[in-house]
Amino acid sequence: MTRGAAARAAIVEGWPVLLVVLIAGAAFGIIARQSGLSVVETSASSLIVFAGASQFASLELLRTGVSGPAVALAILLINARHVLMATAIRPHLAGVPVLRRLGLAYVLTDEAFALGIGWFRRGHRDVTYYAVFGVVLWACWNAATLAGALFGGGLEGTERFGIDFTIPAIFTAIVATTARHRSDLAVAFVAAAVAAIVRIAGASTLAVVLAGALAPVVALRMRRDER
Amino acid sequence: MTVWTAIVLGGVATYLMRALPLVVTLSRYCGVAEGNTPSSRAQRMLREYLDALPIAVLAALVGAGVAVPDGQLTGGAEVVAAGVAFALASWRRNLLVAVVGGVVVVAALRALGL
Repeated sequence: MTRGAAARAAIVEGWPVLLVVLIAGAAFGIIARQSGLSVVETSASSLIVFAGASQFASLELLRTGVSGPAVALAILLINARHVLMATAIRPHLAGVPVLRRLGLAYVLTDEAFALGIGWFRRGHRDVTYYAVFGVVLWACWNAATLAGALFGGGLEGTERFGIDFTIPAIFTAIVATTARHRSDLAVAFVAAAVAAIVRIAGASTLAVVLAGALAPVVALRMRRDER
Repeated sequence: MTVWTAIVLGGVATYLMRALPLVVTLSRYCGVAEGNTPSSRAQRMLREYLDALPIAVLAALVGAGVAVPDGQLTGGAEVVAAGVAFALASWRRNLLVAVVGGVVVVAALRALGL
């Protein structure tokens, strides 16, 4: 497959996600302004942090008067899952020069990771798909944030139409289509259940990190039993 | 000033967590790079762990988001819709079909008050 075809595939498969990113980015811009951030601070958050969930959480913390370093710590915890994602995607970037890898790290998000891993696990080796999707998503998020901060208002009620569910749905579909072993399904089930339980128990910043790091142990057990 | 401290420190921490695993070559030193045959038990276990990691992280994102979509425990609509999306994706092997199915189901169930 040519690079052009891989780039097209990234957009053709990823456009529903990009649409959600545009809506969420605009919502972030609007809420950030309502929480008292300036337009420059709002855009700086999207440019420098560039991780949606942690950016929304930081607004709530800043609004309630939490100190800067404490907010940064919360951002760190919420984004700790990126360590796992980068570790998981690393083998697929073996042939990429270090400087490019440092660039690809900047556009590593839940969505780019999900789509990229889906692509690699279908047997493709080229990083173009991941790189193109990551950069386009970055552009969408930052443009939407700026637009929301500047023009604000009027973007409520998308939940009634289930638009917010697009992202969990696409992640679910990627899990279903890339599972290769019986143990993959067991790992997925355990990870989802543990994350849900931890989050319900109140430790929402830790849920994904804890569940993501623990669940693969199930695969070690199951595959040893198969041998 | 508080805002800038939060953004810059939080941003640097986030970038480091994204970048370090991509440049520190854990897998090569442990002999688990793609194509190598793992020679020891520890290497084989590490490879199997890393192999299962993407699915685990993705499923964890789904589990947390589906069970507690808005910071509150779901009434069940999201869990059912995730099941539908999973079934559609397994059956049709098509992401878009699964996503549209999941979104339609969640919208319908929310309209019913779940």
